[in-house]
Amino acid sequence: MVLERDKVIVLDAVAKDTGVRVGMKRGGVTTLAPEALMFDRSAEREEELQREVAIALLRFTPQVAVCEEETIVVDVTASLRLFGGILRVCREVKGVVKAIGVTARMSVAPTGRGAWLLAKPGRRRVLKMRSLERHLGPLPFMVVPELRPFADWLNGLGCRVLSDIQRLPRAGLKKRCGVDLLDSLDRAYGLAPELHEWLELPPTFSARVELPDRVEHAEAILFSARRLVVQLCGWLTAQQLALTHATITLEHERGRQAIEPTLIEIALAEPTWHEEHLVRLLKERLGRTELEAAVIAVRLTASEVQAAEPPSDSLFPEPGGSAQDHNRLLELLAARLGAENVLRPAPAPDHRPEHANHWVPVQGGLKTPPAPDDLPRPTWLLHAPLRLMVKNHRPFYGSPLKLVSTGERIEAGWHDGALVTRDYFVAEADDKSCYWIYRERPSVKTEETRWFLHGLFG
Amino acid sequence: MAALLKHVESIHPGLWLGTQLARAYGKTVDTGYAALSAELPGGGWPLGALIELLVQQPGIGEMRLMRPALARVAQRPIVLLQAPHVPNALAFSYLGVPLDKLMWLRASKTADALWSAERVLQAGSCGALLFWQQHIRSEALRRLHLAAQATETLLILVRPLASAQDASPATLRLGVRPAEGGIAVDMIKRRGPNRTEPLTVTLQPSPILLSPHGRIRRHSLAPAFAGGVQTEVVASV
Repeated sequence: MVLERDKVIVLDAVAKDTGVRVGMKRGGVTTLAPEALMFDRSAEREEELQREVAIALLRFTPQVAVCEEETIVVDVTASLRLFGGILRVCREVKGVVKAIGVTARMSVAPTGRGAWLLAKPGRRRVLKMRSLERHLGPLPFMVVPELRPFADWLNGLGCRVLSDIQRLPRAGLKKRCGVDLLDSLDRAYGLAPELHEWLELPPTFSARVELPDRVEHAEAILFSARRLVVQLCGWLTAQQLALTHATITLEHERGRQAIEPTLIEIALAEPTWHEEHLVRLLKERLGRTELEAAVIAVRLTASEVQAAEPPSDSLFPEPGGSAQDHNRLLELLAARLGAENVLRPAPAPDHRPEHANHWVPVQGGLKTPPAPDDLPRPTWLLHAPLRLMVKNHRPFYGSPLKLVSTGERIEAGWHDGALVTRDYFVAEADDKSCYWIYRERPSVKTEETRWFLHGLFG
Repeated sequence: MAALLKHVESIHPGLWLGTQLARAYGKTVDTGYAALSAELPGGGWPLGALIELLVQQPGIGEMRLMRPALARVAQRPIVLLQAPHVPNALAFSYLGVPLDKLMWLRASKTADALWSAERVLQAGSCGALLFWQQHIRSEALRRLHLAAQATETLLILVRPLASAQDASPATLRLGVRPAEGGIAVDMIKRRGPNRTEPLTVTLQPSPILLSPHGRIRRHSLAPAFAGGVQTEVVASV
């Protein structure tokens, strides 16, 4: 439960069962439920959270305003067609708010002030001016903050709801209560233009979230990290930027000595501003991360961004998916398997087969150098050449091997200390499978001929 | 009534008579070996279906068997997943597979390998996925088969010949054994009649180009192939 000025203002169902009620003092609560968790209300953190939600909502429209009394006003008039109607927008807004980890009451009205008033007592969706007037009428007048100082006086007049206030003579109301009150009501009813202080964005993005508990498994961080990603996506969309590089900092619990926070770098080949892809990448990266200590907070920093390119839609989409799809696939594979396990060939100009066959991570920027296409080489090379037994002066691998080609002499590497002097042959086993074997040319040290298996003709 | 029964297989592409080869559901890609293509439903490797290649051991000619098909689908990337040995880039360029389309994925765990295979299939941006796996559970097979059906990727799962006994949801299962001049292909499962005798396929290019005895060995059995060694080279030896 949450307390403000030593009085309970919010409590959960379990607390209610023990007999705690809203407005109780701290002492009363400890008597009834000694094990209850009590938190003091923190206005700064509430404001911070409200701002976080507002940043995440920037995905839908640039016009987001943080208003008084824990309310956020979003003008989605211009975005309705893009998102496919007000119902869809509402559903997606609900999803975003849920991802941040808070609950919200949502109301829709043709005026921002009207929606604000409707959201106070409950959720309601009105689209036309006339139905807004109909729904505003029965609201108790206490929802309008400007009316609250005059509550006793208005009660004395017999006013209970907003429509009663509307019926009062305007001139007298203006004289007694000031201009602000009438302006506020006019804005709600759409009679006066509205002015909102739209949210101004920070030029850089760096958000931090404290975890509810100390977390020892990297996967468990994902939920909190998602909250950051949702904000990041809102920030990116509002500025029409795409992310190319982000850093995730996992702050560790301070033990006897401070532990350096763990850094996870996310580099993207294909700039993106989509939440789904970022969350998926993050999931794979977190899955591979091993924590050295419990984590208490997560920070997400967008280190590199670039201007977002709008998707270029072709009339007939390509069947195989676009190049962006493929890049996204590569990123995902590299995130799970590790960049060193997603490889592309980069053959080197060398005579030695094991040096010529060089593989590099896919995400390097360099192009594949052209390779000669007239060298008959085996498809598979062994990691290390396998020493073959010799029986009856013939190499033996499962069965005696018969040499079926003339030799190819490869002698290179004197310049870098990995000298090879080999005669390569194609050999055939009894079952007619072909092997690529070599005979090491006898040197001064070894007199015997040694045979090695180096490749398979796949 | 009699007229209807005569062409009962024309009612639906999923119907065929026991003595016939099925028609292909989707696209196929030509195998490049006429004798083999004639034995496959649709006249080639089916795209968007699970194909199992059961090899006696890796490196007996399975890549040369796939070579013409790989070259045909190589406008899009070709993924080698869990290759049994180090793939030799020069050999792939010799076989006519463009190197800038080639990709090699290594996974330390089976779960990671299966996950990667599913992702590659779901993205649908790759032309072919060749997946080597020793042991694979039947639910994983079914999942791969399902993922393949939504794409136009050539999915080939290479498994040991011993697993021919196990049931599999694959559309096409071929056993591959080495044979004189190429390989012998056993039709283990296909949409069509049983074929008990193995089919011998002469593979191109043969690794045996130059005989130590100075004569052309079994190379002249099949016409020289573009991408292989030119006829003059062979003849001049």
